[in-house]
Amino acid sequence: MSFDRPKELLKPVKRRFIFMTFLLAVLVEMVPLPHGSTRWLPDFISLVLLYWVINQPRRVNVGLAFLMGLVADIATAGMLGQHALAYSVTAYLALSRQRQLIMFNLGQQALSVLALMLCNQSIMVVARMLTGAAFVGWSYFLPPLIGALLWPLLTKLLLLPYRHHSV
Amino acid sequence: MDFANTPSFFRSGPKPGTRLFLCALASIALLVGDSRYGLMEQARDGMSLVLYPLQRVVNMPLGMVRHFGDYFTAQADLKNENDQLRTRQLEMSARLARLETVERELNELRQLNSIKATRTDAPQLAETLYTGRDPFSYKIIIDKGADANLQPGQPVVDAHGLLGQITRVQPLTAEVTLIIDKNQMVPVMIARTGERAILYGYGGGVEIRYLPLHADVREGDSIVTSGIDGLYQEGTPVARVSKVERNAGAAFSRITTEPLAGVQQTRYVLVLQQKGQTPPRPAEPVVPVKKTKGKKPADSE
Repeated sequence: MSFDRPKELLKPVKRRFIFMTFLLAVLVEMVPLPHGSTRWLPDFISLVLLYWVINQPRRVNVGLAFLMGLVADIATAGMLGQHALAYSVTAYLALSRQRQLIMFNLGQQALSVLALMLCNQSIMVVARMLTGAAFVGWSYFLPPLIGALLWPLLTKLLLLPYRHHSV
Repeated sequence: MDFANTPSFFRSGPKPGTRLFLCALASIALLVGDSRYGLMEQARDGMSLVLYPLQRVVNMPLGMVRHFGDYFTAQADLKNENDQLRTRQLEMSARLARLETVERELNELRQLNSIKATRTDAPQLAETLYTGRDPFSYKIIIDKGADANLQPGQPVVDAHGLLGQITRVQPLTAEVTLIIDKNQMVPVMIARTGERAILYGYGGGVEIRYLPLHADVREGDSIVTSGIDGLYQEGTPVARVSKVERNAGAAFSRITTEPLAGVQQTRYVLVLQQKGQTPPRPAEPVVPVKKTKGKKPADSE
């Protein structure tokens, strides 16, 4: 286990900061990127969501996941409720194992995040196929992999404003 | 990183399980409501209005980058492009002159034969705001909506051919379903022979189904809209036949086609007017014997 990690004292997280990160993720989602990049770009909203669910479970929980899912549904012009369902279930799974996840080091966390995001994608595939869409191919499961690889970076970035000596 | 690991003395709110149950129930209700009954249009309109400024903000830096790029183009490039455009314009104007005469003639002939003249409405130029990143739906969002009097069902084209059809109009934006979307069908004909068929999108491409084996189709044939659905004007290029497979065992030949329009690359699109109102179909005689499975109409959502 990872008790070797230095435990720092961090400043309390502001509500404003959480809101900002979500806003940023939604904005990234809406940037008109060149065609083809959506094949591998991870779902930033779910990444940020997982980060906050794991690190601030009292503030960010299933309800907020549901709301962010609705926003993602509108932003991606998908079917209403598809992201909402996937995010709520994923957030619940993360929340139920939050005590363990928080003790993991970054590599282990990235692995669990990979599993969670795969679960996320699977729920969306099932939801879409039940409502009558064709299967889009296995490349649909590539973004979670990239997302998991980005996880350590994301964690470091989001921690940056809360180190005491950072300002 | 364990700054959240403080012991929780008080639990706030309902348990996560309860929350999950409620949220899952709500989202399944939304899914069913949206996919089966289309109940969520109002809510979607409202939300899209809220998200519109965000879209604009996100598009702004990209626009600025493009602007700077325009500013710093070399003069040689500009000159080159200008020459190209000039030649093209000359060609086009020659063609247009011929077309105008032909069109006038056609309308006169139509009047003589008392057929309704075709409408000539100006198309509207729109810009692609973004393409939905949902890989299941082949849709793009354009920056004109109810404010520009767009209506669901209007065909959308780009410089090369048919792109799709407006399926949802929101106050400031509209959603265009591309022809390659699953469930999207276009009545077409093969330009060379005039043989009519239906072009089916299958999610990522288009194909012609149900054309008999003996049909005269060759590779490289261009496929244009037939205009018999009262929606698309006839003669808009749609696709090109890329492969014809005739399998003796099957009843129909397998025809693979490629869409002409830059279905997922275009930035500027033209929204055309719908073809004029066609008189309603005469009522079919009632067949009492058995239930026939009616074909879905072409303007599927």
